[in-house]
Amino acid sequence: MNVLKVENISKSFGNLKAVDQVSFEIEEGVSFGLLGPNGAGKTTTIRMITNIIIPDSGRISILNNGDFSTTSNYLGYLPEERGLYRKMKVGELLFFLAKLKTMNRNEARKEIDYWLERLELMEWKKKKVEELSKGMQQKLQFIGTILHQPKLLILDEPFMGLDPINTNLIKDIMLELKEAGTTIIFSTHLMENAEKLCDEIFLINKGRNVLSGKLSDVKKRFGRENVIIEFDGDDGFLKTSAHIKKFDNYGNYAEIQLHNNADPQKLLAEAMKVVRIRKFEIKEPSLNEIFIETVGKN
Amino acid sequence: MNKKVLAVVSREFLTRAKTKGFIIGTLIFPLMLVLIFGGIFIFSMLFKPASRTYYVVDQTGKIYDEFVRMLPDTLKNGQLKYQLIKQDVQANDLKNTLTEYQELVRKKKIDGYLVIPENIVDSTKASYSAKNVSDFDMERDFGRALSRIVANIRLENIGLSPEIIRREMNMGNVRLVSRQVTETGEVEKSGVSSFILTYFLTYIMLLMIMIYGATLMRSVIEEKSQRITETIISSIKPIELMVGKIIGICGLGLTQLILMGAIILAIVHFGEPLLVKMGVNIPELLQIIRQIDFSPAVFIFMILFFLMGFVFFASLFAAVGAMVTSEDEGQQYQMPLVFLVLISYFIMFSVAKNPETPMALWTSLIPFFTPLVMFARITVSDPMLPSGAIISIFTMLLSTILLIWLVAKIYRVGILMYGKKASFKEAIKWIRYK
Repeated sequence: MNVLKVENISKSFGNLKAVDQVSFEIEEGVSFGLLGPNGAGKTTTIRMITNIIIPDSGRISILNNGDFSTTSNYLGYLPEERGLYRKMKVGELLFFLAKLKTMNRNEARKEIDYWLERLELMEWKKKKVEELSKGMQQKLQFIGTILHQPKLLILDEPFMGLDPINTNLIKDIMLELKEAGTTIIFSTHLMENAEKLCDEIFLINKGRNVLSGKLSDVKKRFGRENVIIEFDGDDGFLKTSAHIKKFDNYGNYAEIQLHNNADPQKLLAEAMKVVRIRKFEIKEPSLNEIFIETVGKN
Repeated sequence: MNKKVLAVVSREFLTRAKTKGFIIGTLIFPLMLVLIFGGIFIFSMLFKPASRTYYVVDQTGKIYDEFVRMLPDTLKNGQLKYQLIKQDVQANDLKNTLTEYQELVRKKKIDGYLVIPENIVDSTKASYSAKNVSDFDMERDFGRALSRIVANIRLENIGLSPEIIRREMNMGNVRLVSRQVTETGEVEKSGVSSFILTYFLTYIMLLMIMIYGATLMRSVIEEKSQRITETIISSIKPIELMVGKIIGICGLGLTQLILMGAIILAIVHFGEPLLVKMGVNIPELLQIIRQIDFSPAVFIFMILFFLMGFVFFASLFAAVGAMVTSEDEGQQYQMPLVFLVLISYFIMFSVAKNPETPMALWTSLIPFFTPLVMFARITVSDPMLPSGAIISIFTMLLSTILLIWLVAKIYRVGILMYGKKASFKEAIKWIRYK
């Protein structure tokens, strides 16, 4: 089932086209990486999905429903610009956020206690938000985002400002929610995180989609395979092989870029005839490389 | 009401209603009343006058009897307020005797002594000595009694009848009764007291609008400056958020206003019988209570005009909050609003004196001024309605709805604009945004 369908949305601010004819669909239970450099239009896209700003043109439907007052209850949004009412008590604040999602009182209380316990904030329940450390406030806001068991979870730079331990904690919860069927849109400019967490990616630059699809397909489609080879013997085959497009030779270690459609197995067979192979590794391009190359080309 | 709006309303109301500031602000008025009335009551109990003994030396020999007759006041226990004991003293003994009396006063055997000289009718002077000469009651009573006796004697001396003169003077006393013409006839009403009430009520209304208008503005600014807006707006529409905030904060002012109005109303209706039952018989206090012209109708209009006035100005305060990025900027931007409210208070002063001039009618129909000016006209005209009262309610409602619609557009854009305050020109541009 389609959890989110975005059709040809555009948004301009003055003369700046922030988002230009962007379309995508997300299936249930998928983690979807909305990637792009700073200022690419990620946040604007998300704000249109969350109905914070209205697209100039195009259509957005969540769970096949275009009426935001209903769908907003199935939506959990952790914005990049985040903040909470500093004077409110932690428990009261979460209760307020739950009520904004029209959550039932008893269920809200139960979920609040569960998550406060899980994220080690229980003893802060009666404290004011302003007494919490930055990291704790981040976790608190994360709880506020998932409290009502959203079907579509939108996280804009969720690990910003978190230490490695809390990053792992949040990451585990994200994976757990995904297992349970939650669809997650994960926006970041840090490709290492996206590479580990996303099933599908959608790369935008200057408001336009420049690359999208399943992460594995994208890597394959990117069509460039690197080989790392460690060997003992004469390195002359590097220059003579028909499969090799480019290489960096370090004597008995080389990083090789193959021609398009070249088969690494054939290179291995060729090499084995002349040198003794210690290591042969086919290396997919990292998302980081794809990102830099795609965006740089643009 | 929409559940989400309700969540915002209760957050805005409860987080503030629980603060010390609000609780003190709410209780300060009833507390003041309790202090004033309680104080008067306690003092009247503490300083119960006791019977006092005075020696009276009447050198004329004619005045004492009349003097006693004129001071028949008794205390609650039935004792005479002034025990006046006649002392016969020979003129040549006077000096020594008075020295003895002084000793008696010092030893508190008597409270004081009065000497009525033989020539009092001509000199119109008498002397009174006591340890404490600041008892106004007694001075007034003694002075009055002596003056009356001496005046009577003087009138008789020139052949006039004091009884007739006094009777005629009493009968000639004119009491001016001010009556107000109403739909159904006339009612007795004091001009001064209804002005004081009007000034007081409109002042309270002005305070409420400004205090809670600024509270709303700060609340909007908080969401902006603390970057809370985006989190909230992904769950609720901006206009719902704005309406929820206005209602929640309005509830705070309404609570205080209703409490205050109910207390005044209770005092007007039950104050006098209750005080009399409690045995407090202080004419000045009862007089004040009797003069408060606070009718249930005025109470209802006060609530109605406060609600309309608050929502009208609050939406403007919300727009200001959405346009600025910090409380300091908010302080500057709210100045025009504060001036508007103050101007309507100044207009109210002249309108309350002449509530039926064309100027009074027209200013009270301008939405910015209606809440205070029309309410003032209603209060001074009560129990009649001033001209244009019903129309003003409709124009006010209509312009408030229109204003909210406009402001919601500014609000929607403004709350997501971080970093830079907007000019009025930009705000107008926001209204046209899709």
